[in-house]
Parts: sequence; structure tokens; C-alpha cells
Amino acid sequence: MFRSYALAPLRCVALALLAVFGFAASLPLMAAIGAVVTYPHVLQVVRRLAGLSRWLARAWSGIVIDPPYREGPVPVPPRRPDGWYEHDGQLFKTRHYPAFFLRMQWLSDDPATARDWMWLVLLAPIGGLVALLAPALIGAGVLLAASVTGPGRRVLADAGLTDLVAWLTVPGWAVLATGVAAIVTGVLAGPALLRAHGRWARTWLGHPGLTWWQSSGIGDWLRRGGHDTWKAALLLGLSLTGFAVFLLTLLLTLVSGGFGIAWVAYAIRPMLNHYRRLCVTWGGGEPMPDPYRQREGVPEPGPDGRYRVGRTLYATRDGARRAGFFPWILGDPATWRDLAWMATAPLVALLAVVPGVLIGAGYFGLFWQALFWPLWAVPFGLITGVWISPWYVWQLFTLGLPAADVVPGWVSIPIGLAMGLLGVLLAGPVLRLITGWARLLLAPSRSARLTQRVEHLAQTRAEAVDAQSAELRRIERDLHDGAQARLVAVGLSLGTVEQLMDRDPAAARVLLAQARETSAAALAELRDLVRGIHPPVLAERGLADAVRALALDAALPVEVHAELAGQPPAPVATAAYFAVAEALTNAARHAQAGRVGVDIRHTGGLLRVTVTDDGRGGAVPSDGGGLHGLRRRLATFDGTLALHSPQGGPTVLTLEIPCALSSPRTSTS
Amino acid sequence: MRVVLAEDLYLLREGLVRLLEAHDCTVVAAVETGPDLLDALLAHRPDVAVVDVRLPPTNTDEGLQAALTARRQVPGLPVLVLSQHVEQLYARELLADGTGGIGYLLKDRVFNADQFVDAVRRVAGGGTAMDPEVIAKLMQQPVRNVPLARLTPREREVLELMAEGRSNAAIGQRLFLSESAVGKHTASIFGKLDLAPSDDDNRRVLAVLAYLNGGA
Repeated sequence: MFRSYALAPLRCVALALLAVFGFAASLPLMAAIGAVVTYPHVLQVVRRLAGLSRWLARAWSGIVIDPPYREGPVPVPPRRPDGWYEHDGQLFKTRHYPAFFLRMQWLSDDPATARDWMWLVLLAPIGGLVALLAPALIGAGVLLAASVTGPGRRVLADAGLTDLVAWLTVPGWAVLATGVAAIVTGVLAGPALLRAHGRWARTWLGHPGLTWWQSSGIGDWLRRGGHDTWKAALLLGLSLTGFAVFLLTLLLTLVSGGFGIAWVAYAIRPMLNHYRRLCVTWGGGEPMPDPYRQREGVPEPGPDGRYRVGRTLYATRDGARRAGFFPWILGDPATWRDLAWMATAPLVALLAVVPGVLIGAGYFGLFWQALFWPLWAVPFGLITGVWISPWYVWQLFTLGLPAADVVPGWVSIPIGLAMGLLGVLLAGPVLRLITGWARLLLAPSRSARLTQRVEHLAQTRAEAVDAQSAELRRIERDLHDGAQARLVAVGLSLGTVEQLMDRDPAAARVLLAQARETSAAALAELRDLVRGIHPPVLAERGLADAVRALALDAALPVEVHAELAGQPPAPVATAAYFAVAEALTNAARHAQAGRVGVDIRHTGGLLRVTVTDDGRGGAVPSDGGGLHGLRRRLATFDGTLALHSPQGGPTVLTLEIPCALSSPRTSTS
Repeated sequence: MRVVLAEDLYLLREGLVRLLEAHDCTVVAAVETGPDLLDALLAHRPDVAVVDVRLPPTNTDEGLQAALTARRQVPGLPVLVLSQHVEQLYARELLADGTGGIGYLLKDRVFNADQFVDAVRRVAGGGTAMDPEVIAKLMQQPVRNVPLARLTPREREVLELMAEGRSNAAIGQRLFLSESAVGKHTASIFGKLDLAPSDDDNRRVLAVLAYLNGGA
């Protein structure tokens, strides 16, 4: 009891020092995040500091704060059947890098990480200031009490605190009483302040509840502004790299006479593609695919055995290939657009500095100065006798501009607030401006898009034609070997019956029965064939009911949910129908699923069908397999097929086909 | 027996008319489009309608829709639906009102004239006639429905034939059982499917419906 009161002021001081230390450490820590490799270690340090705060809250004020970190195993990269590890479309030989990226993403996606940072940078100082109340009261009380006694006054005067001594004109007993009261209040308030600090820490370092702050969306707005700021700053960094490369290209051009441009432009393409992806992820808008021309193959050798590239003949294939490189790169308009972007990007990206500086300076004025002024300016004033106005650099202003002296110091708080808010407000538009400029130059130009479209269409058309002719061959074979042959047999039987009718009615009857059976079999075959070409329910009722009929015939329970305001075009519906059929077959045959859900909807000009099963997962679309065939079939409609099937399930198959819906029932005759 | 026939293929329509009239039925109307069918059904109120699923003008499920509409206006109007293909989805829609007088057969079944006319009579009498192909598809599926899982294999066989619409006598003949044994089985089936004793014919329809819904 007595011990806790006695120790409380010291503990308060310790908490304040920890807050200052954490704040001071946050700057180098933030800098260290920039070096990507150290990122998890930095987070580890931050978590340690937050953990120390939690531990102190428990030990000193009895307030238990449960760590709010995301539980469960850190995700591990899946190993593909070919032995490689995949991450974000890249293949890695070992699991090391993908595991690192996944861990990094896992850590930074944890909302507790952001709260830890917030605590370290913003909130611990505020809490520390509260905690300091008790020691401050005690210190002030001691000073006041000391000033009443003769030796105390002398010590104060010697320490340069003559102001304080001179100020003490009120009666000594009143000063003494005030001093003692301050000391007593400080001591008594100590544990309460520790508890207050603990609760404050629990609000930010414990499991987050939905506070008014979160529900109001202000926090989200601030965070978005902050994120936009560092995103813009990162894009600025990349732009500067691009500019450096541009300068290098200029230098190389001077030295090598043009060839350097091709090499550098080619080498920098992966970085620019990365930049494109970042711009789309951060700035939004249409995806920016890689705009470069495909490299053409080396032409076949002419009659003289030499290879012709442009107006030059080459003796070897390698030589022709190497020579083809320069026309390929330099003839691609995208190369020149890249260079134009590299030359101009930093000019636009420099705007990123504006919200960054505004937010930084605003924060400085709002918190840092106001909070820590007592820690440095008071000792400074006590020692030197010069009382510095802490607010920004008013002191410097007043040196050159004495009129500025009349501006009170506290204005830095509203000014800081205004600057910070302005920075947050500007962050989004600045980011969009930077990505917009990039889009202007880096997105594929109209002709590049058309070229790619033509290439894509030529390829899918070739595939469609192949698939179509294979399908026709299959139908022809089935008809030829099945229904057609059976109908011939029926005709034969009927001919024989005609002859037998009078001579041997019994045999004729047997033959007639056979003929009937054969014609029934022919019909059954035709039925199956029709079902394989265009299922009758699909023709009669459209996609949703056709899938429902499919679900009824499936070997396992299938729940169908369809939201379609009309019918997709018949070929699209057929492709979607067969995709669902394939997925249901797979779920029943390979995935050992217990239930399957099918969801069909049409949003934003896309027909989206999702088939989910609760099976064991691990499905891989192999070459020549059913899924591969479906993918090719969907490509004809610019559709996509995505398969997500981790080991252990569940398997989710999503297909998307751009199409418009027609009115619910139209004539198909 | 007065029959309304709807079939868009001329040859098949004439063949069916001849077949039905050879078996003492009167075809009061033979139509070829959905709207005509609806008009004929409401005007003639036949003893049974023989309807092709796919009819002009849309050539989708016009016939089925017309038959369902007519049944909503004339509850219990017996309808035998013919189709080139049979789908559980349609079978369910037809049976959904639970009043019986429903048949759903593949067109091939007209090859066996006696069985086909038998089915027409059963439907006209308020019974059911489900195509064996619909029943066979249900039988392929693993048991998902709890009440159906309670049936013994023999009872399932009986229910299967009952779903096709056969009488107890016909079932007994097929399974080599006495009619009373079939009666016992059906009673036990009704008990296990929680069907209260009431009008016997309708219970048969409800049992078939339970059977079909067992697939859901």
C-alpha cells in the first residue's frame, strides 16, 4: 500500500521516459522499414515495445491487456507439383522468398500492427504527459516548500532560479501549505494516474472495439490520407530511379550512338511493369497491361540460306535474332513513351513532397513541440535564463521581424492541425495526379491495345476453329456409328418383315419387336448427343434452370443460387453450362466433396458463375484436362476461368464472361 | 374418353390421333401451338390432355407452361406430358400441386402402344405415370433424403414402380408378389414417409412427390 504510493511517481516518470524513447525510436524504425529486408525485424521491435507497455500496465496498475495480434499459423507458400514455389505470379526455387513476402503481408495486414505504430508515435506521448502529472506536482511542491526555508532559497538562487525566489512575495506559510498540498496530491494521485495510463494503453494496445472514432470514419479517412502519402512518396522514389535511368540512357546514347537506348529501355521494362501495377493498385482505374510489342520470330532463311532482317542479310540465325532486337525495341512506340515518362515523372511526382511535408510539420506543431516543450525548453530556460517560445520557430521570426512577437505561441496548435488536415486532404488528389500522369504515358496506346487485341483474337479464333472442327468430327462419328447405323438396321428389319409377314407371322413379329427396340436405342443415342451439343433444358428454360436441372441429376447435393435478370447469349450460356457440369463432375469424382454450391449472377456487364465445394482441394488444371478445355472455350468470349483450390479445400471455381443479358424470354426458333 | 392433343410435328400428331382413336379415345382437338392448347383445354375440358413440352411459337417449354396454366384454372385437369427428353426439374413442377392426374413420358414410349394407352388411362383416372428414366436417375443417386433412407430395398422397389404410376396389381406382377403383400409394403411406405391415411390415390402421388423431392 505505502510502497505503491511511494513508487507511483517514479513509475510515472518511467512511463513518460518510455513514451519519449518509443517516439524517438519510431523515426529510425520507420526509416528501417524502407529497407524491405528488415521489415519483419522492425515490426518485431515495435511489438516488443508495445509488449513492454502491456507488461508495465499489468505490473504497475493491474490492468490486463491481451495482445490483439492475429492468431493462427503464418501462411506458408504452396509447393507446386513441379517443385517450384509460387508467389504473386513469380516462381521461386526455394520457399525462402515467398515465405518472407507472405509473412510480411501477414504482419502488415494485421490491424494490430497499425495500432502499435499509432501508439508508439502518437498516443504514448499523450499518455506519458498524463502520467507526468504526479511527479510534476511533487516536484513543484518540493520547489515551493524549499523556497520558504533559508537554505532552500539560497540553493534556488544559486541554481539561477532567481525569478522563482523573487516571485515568492506571498506569506511563507501559504507557500509552504501550497507546496505540501501539491506533494500530497501528487503522491495520492500517483496510483490513480498509473491506472488511467493503463486504461489508456488498453484502449489502443488491446483488442479493438468499435469506438465512435472508428464508426465515424475519421480514423479511416486519416489512415487513408496517411497511406496515400507514403504511396505517393514511394512512387516519387521510383520516379527518381526512372529519371536516373533516363540520364544514364542519355549518357549511353552519347557514348554508343543510340544502341544504349535499346538495352536500357529493355532492361528497365520489368521495373516499369511493376510501377504500372502499383499505379493501378493504388490509383485505381482500368488495369494497365504491359504495352510492349511481342517479339517476332526470326524469319525463315531465303533461297540463298541467309536470313533477312529489314534490308540486311545475315548468315546465321543467331545473328539475325540479335539484329532483330534493335528494331523490335526501338520501333516500339511504348519504348519512347517509357522514356518520355522517365524524363517527366519526377516533375509530377515531386508533388508527393507537399502532403508529406504538411503532415510532418503539422504533426510537429500539434504534438511534438507542445508535448515536449516542458522537457527541453524549461530546463533550457532554467539553465540559461532565455525563455524560448517553443512554437515552431517564432523565435527566429521575432529576431528578423519583431512584429511577429505579438503572435502568441499557442497558435502552433491550430496551425499544426490545419496543416496536417490539409496534408491528409491533398494526399489523395496528389496520388491520383501522379498515377494519372503515369497512365497517360505508360498505359498501352490505342494502337498498342488494338494490336494486342488482334493478336488475342487471332489466337482464340484459331483455338475456337480447332475446337469447333473437333466437335463436328465427334458428332459426325457418333451419328455415323450410332443412330445412323441403327436406323439402317431398322429399315433392314422392316424390309424383311414385309417379306415374312405372310409366310411366317411369328418371325415377323419378333423382327418387328427388334426393330422397335433398335429405333428406341437410336433415339436414346440421339438424345445423349443432343444433350452434349446443346442441352434441351438450356434451350427451353435458359441458364439458371438448366443448371438447376443439372444439380438435380448430380451425384451429390448441389445448391443453386441464381440472380439473372435475363438470359445471356446462347453460346455464352452453353459455355457456362458445360463449365458448371465439368465442375460438378470434378467435385463428385475427384474432390470427395459433400456439398456443392453454385452461384450465378450478372453484375457490371459480367456473367459470373462460382462453383464452391467442400472437398479436399488441390485441383490443378492440367494441360489437355477438362478445365484446360473450358479455359480455351471461355477465351473465345474473352471469359476467364479462375481456380482456387488449396490443399485441404475448399475448391472455388470462378468463371467470368463479359456479356449483356437479353430480355427473359425470346424466341429461339 | 375425350382427349386434347398438342404436338407440333404433323406426322407424330396424326400418328397419335390414329393410335388414340384405335384405343377407343375421342380426340376432341389436335392443336400445334401453346396458345391454341390453352384455349382448347379451357373450351373442351377434356378427360386427359396429351401435350408435347416444346411447342410453337417460342419452341421452348410452351406446352408445359400452357398445361400448368390450365391446371391452375382447372385444378386436377389430367395432363400427360410427352417430351424428347425427361428432366426431374419438369417432373417436380408437374407434380408440385400434389393433386395427381399427371404423366410425364418420353416420346419413345408411344412405340409400345398398349403401355402408352395404359398410361393415358391412368392419368385420366387421376393417377401418375412417371417415365422410368426419371425414376432411374433418382435411383442412381446416393440417398440424401432421410425418410427415403428408412425404406427397405424391397420397399424402394415398390415405391419405384409406384412412382411410375402402376397399380398394386401391376406392381405385384412385376415383382412376383401377391397383391396383399404389395398392399402391406405400400402401407409401410406411407407410414415411413409420414403420409396420413386419407384418399389413397393422392397418397400415392404424395409418395412419388416425396420420392422426387428426395433428390433435392
